[in-house]
Amino acid sequence: MKSEKKRIGVFVCHCGINIAGVVNVPEVVKRLKETTDAAVVIDHQYCCSDPGQNLIKETIQKEKLDGAVIACCSPTLHENTFRKTAARAGINPYNCEIANIREQCSWVTEDKEKATDKAAKIIKTLIKKVQYDEPLTPISIPVTRKALVIGGGVAGIQAALDIANTGYPVILLEKNPSIGGKMSMLSETFPTLDCSQCILTPKMVEAKQHPNITLMTYSEIDSVSGYIGNFKVKVRQKARYVDWDKCTGCDICVGKCPKKVSDEFNCGLSERKVVYKMFPQSVPNRVVIDAPNCLYIQKGACRLCEKHCPFNAIKWNDKDEIKELEVGAIVLATGYELLDKQRLGPYGFGKLKNVVDGLQFERILSASGPFMGEVKRPSDGKVPERIVFVQCAGSRDPENAMAYCSKICCMYTAKQAILYKHRVHQGEAVVFYIDVRTGGKGFEEFYKRATDEGILYIRGKVSKIFEKGDKVIVWGADTITGKKVEVEADLVVLATAMVPAAEKSFAQLMKLTQDEYGWFTEAHPKLRPVETLAGGFFLAGASQGPKDIPEAVSQASGAASKVIILFASDTLEHAPVIAGVDEDLCSGCGVCIDVCPYKAREIQVKEDGKKKTVKVIEVLCEGCGACSAACPVGAAQQKNFKDKQIEDMVKVGLE
Amino acid sequence: MTSFAYYPGCTLYTKSKNLDLCARETAQILGVELKELETWNCCGAIFSTVTDDIANQVAPIRNLIEAQKISNKLVTLCAACYNVLKRSNLYLAKAGNETYRKRLMNFLDTEYNGKTEVVHYLETLKYDIGFDNVKAKVVKSLNGLKVASYYGCLMVRPSEELKFDDPDNPVMMDDLFAALGATPVDFPFKGECCGGYILVDKPEVATKCAQTVIENMAASGAECVATTCPLCQYNIDNQQKMMSKQYNLPIFYFTQLLGLALGIDEKILNLNNHFIDPKPLLKQKGLLQ
Amino acid sequence: MIIDETIKKDIEELSGQKLSDCYQCGECTAGCPTAFAMEPVPSQSIRLLQLGKYSELLESAGIWLCAACNVCGERCPRGVDYGKIADACRTIVLRNKVTHITLEKVDKKFILDAPQQAFIAAFRKFTT
Repeated sequence: MKSEKKRIGVFVCHCGINIAGVVNVPEVVKRLKETTDAAVVIDHQYCCSDPGQNLIKETIQKEKLDGAVIACCSPTLHENTFRKTAARAGINPYNCEIANIREQCSWVTEDKEKATDKAAKIIKTLIKKVQYDEPLTPISIPVTRKALVIGGGVAGIQAALDIANTGYPVILLEKNPSIGGKMSMLSETFPTLDCSQCILTPKMVEAKQHPNITLMTYSEIDSVSGYIGNFKVKVRQKARYVDWDKCTGCDICVGKCPKKVSDEFNCGLSERKVVYKMFPQSVPNRVVIDAPNCLYIQKGACRLCEKHCPFNAIKWNDKDEIKELEVGAIVLATGYELLDKQRLGPYGFGKLKNVVDGLQFERILSASGPFMGEVKRPSDGKVPERIVFVQCAGSRDPENAMAYCSKICCMYTAKQAILYKHRVHQGEAVVFYIDVRTGGKGFEEFYKRATDEGILYIRGKVSKIFEKGDKVIVWGADTITGKKVEVEADLVVLATAMVPAAEKSFAQLMKLTQDEYGWFTEAHPKLRPVETLAGGFFLAGASQGPKDIPEAVSQASGAASKVIILFASDTLEHAPVIAGVDEDLCSGCGVCIDVCPYKAREIQVKEDGKKKTVKVIEVLCEGCGACSAACPVGAAQQKNFKDKQIEDMVKVGLE
Repeated sequence: MTSFAYYPGCTLYTKSKNLDLCARETAQILGVELKELETWNCCGAIFSTVTDDIANQVAPIRNLIEAQKISNKLVTLCAACYNVLKRSNLYLAKAGNETYRKRLMNFLDTEYNGKTEVVHYLETLKYDIGFDNVKAKVVKSLNGLKVASYYGCLMVRPSEELKFDDPDNPVMMDDLFAALGATPVDFPFKGECCGGYILVDKPEVATKCAQTVIENMAASGAECVATTCPLCQYNIDNQQKMMSKQYNLPIFYFTQLLGLALGIDEKILNLNNHFIDPKPLLKQKGLLQ
Repeated sequence: MIIDETIKKDIEELSGQKLSDCYQCGECTAGCPTAFAMEPVPSQSIRLLQLGKYSELLESAGIWLCAACNVCGERCPRGVDYGKIADACRTIVLRNKVTHITLEKVDKKFILDAPQQAFIAAFRKFTT
């Protein structure tokens, strides 16, 4: 494979004093001139600067070089820069290599002599590598310009609308019968106190009516295969037992259905029928039958809904349907849940009726909630005279629950206390807190408003909550005065921690990484916050971490813009430094298939129908090299990292 | 008959004889022999959390070594002994504590590395005998007796070490009483502290702690209380006289109620050794002549 | 009592607790059965140590009121066990030969009635 000897130029960068402060650059240049066959060896203060890049370009052209080694910082920083420079000079960019003499040399020692020796050796190995390097061309992949947004909360709706408004088709998938997510459950929003439903419903309707958006509610992901630009997704549309083409959402069936079960939308604070609409403003405005609870489906009795439906829409033989989608990008807007109160033993294991969580209290406050917006407590419907709000219930608690701050609780607790005071003028609101975090526009002012309205803030975490007669006793502390505080309340609201809604199995389905709590991991916490390390997947809203509504919406728009950028061209490029197979050597043993983390290898049967070999699916291969390390016969070879090439590099390095 | 090494501890030999004797007798009925250590010494009554406290760890560990002569399992009865012996054992065997262990061994005759498993008699009843088998031996069902099971601190905390039961809602004793036919009363202070350990130094504070606990038990509808700890027993029984409100709540050792249900001799039950006389309640419930 | 900065190291070593882990949420105080009588309360005691006011705590009455019930350590969100810190503080005082209780102070009737467990524990916790 070694062709004629290349004319290689070496460019040694000083990186100011970063390299030159430790490595004796003139000495390195001298040694390379004396001991290698490099055609040119030049040093420069900053190779990455404009003059530096020009020097490289001009030297390549003037000296008719066909390979280059830039001895500088890590390839993760400037490999791309210098390969572009090389391309501009007219040579194949993959024949330009980086010798990392900063991170792996000058930065890790103060010994100038050893650093100089090591720098020279590193460069020599790279000269050897370039001698073997083949010219490579990026692989072109077609892009399906259609997006899938998973999760129909406010983030998912926003992402879908933004993509759809650019002209690309979007499928908006939601596991519940209606889109709307958590925001549709909220009463009013902080710090402006606008009605949550009032600002959300128009967006839900817009999503429904948008010509580029296909709603798929009551649906879940079954499987995902493929890769960026070319995903194949199987969606399970759950049996609704109602023909949605005929149903008009008139609710006559709901009125006739004789069986009631706990209402999830009201967080178990009220009951709904078995044939039901999630909430009055549901989009789509359709009903479903909850099969496990239906008297007819389970016991063969009843059928009242069918009898009374004016549109003949009840469909008993409905089945789950699998739909196959082809999309180019996937936006994850799977959102959050609240930490299960059962996990909070000292706060009563979720068994105390008058200890509710933040979302339950939102439903209590909501005009369409279980008490039509009147503040009542669940046990006996009495108007609570005193409510204790407990912040950090499971947040900031690495020992017992979640280590992180759930971010939204300080503000929604202030809001809930204010709303309670607005509805029950004589009511007392007491908030136990560790810190009140008001980083957000108008947040600190809103906190001030809460104290202005007579809400008592006590700085201390609650240790125990228990019932005494029909009261709830809260044991807290006031750390400012150093007193233990006992408060007798009619109702307690726990600001329970936000936890990710997406389960581990779901993430595994997508091959996406989650952090230790299950939030999806972004590609870079600062500079790539809406992307994931898996190409083609983008993050929106609380799937990535606790967020309030404006943050979820902005991140959704960010994710949408990344999708639109991907869709701007109908093809995309994939780096060609990937694995190949020498079919003469390959025995088709399949070891490489097992070790490949990207599922980029498969068995193929040769045309003669006998010999089996392994084939690389080039667009999936990330060039990690696992296959070439595992292959017992040396058939799997990584382009520009072939065994012989690496062997010779090691030899030079050990000279 | 299965026999287990048994450690009574100081208080059970004297002031809390009823806790001890009822346990031995009931074990006999249930087919288990509690074989007392040939020699034993006081466990120290409180676990020293001070990391270099060799002196206070010698006594409990010596008992654990002695237990090896009988079985790998050492049954305890007093909540304090259970807590101290179990934690001393875990601390000695904890990863990273090898230097400490070696230093400790300088004060002991026999090499020891934490092999003895410290259990409480309740655990023996639940896991070795089984509550169903206990139920089968009941001759006098505690039918209708509303019992508050009081675990206190020493049985349930630190839960990470003891792993006895849920520290916020322990149920092991409740389940036993359900098996004996009684009605377990749930109350939020099952694991709250009665203040016993500061009784000597600050009796007024301890009494107030005890009153908080008693009040909570009484409010939950309990007719009597069962405990595993002589100090809790004393503090919430005798100290009732010091309380501003009189609750008149009899405080049993759990082994007394077990003994009553299994029909052991009234002399062994030792029902006279109580500040709040439990006999009227038991008579009213038809459990005593 | 002579106090110097090495005392922080002593307290951390003897208790096995890291003082800087405490973020002063007050949950220890909130759940402490004797906090109503304790001065300073658990969270403030740890705060004194964080501020380097060691003697203020070592000379306080608070550390002697801990009933060793372990609720604070059990529920602390940051895994700090005040009970162990109090145990370490008492140990430092006692190792300086300052005893906290004497037998003469204890009510004689009480000695006859109360279980041995109470005395053994008290004399181990409170005497040199």
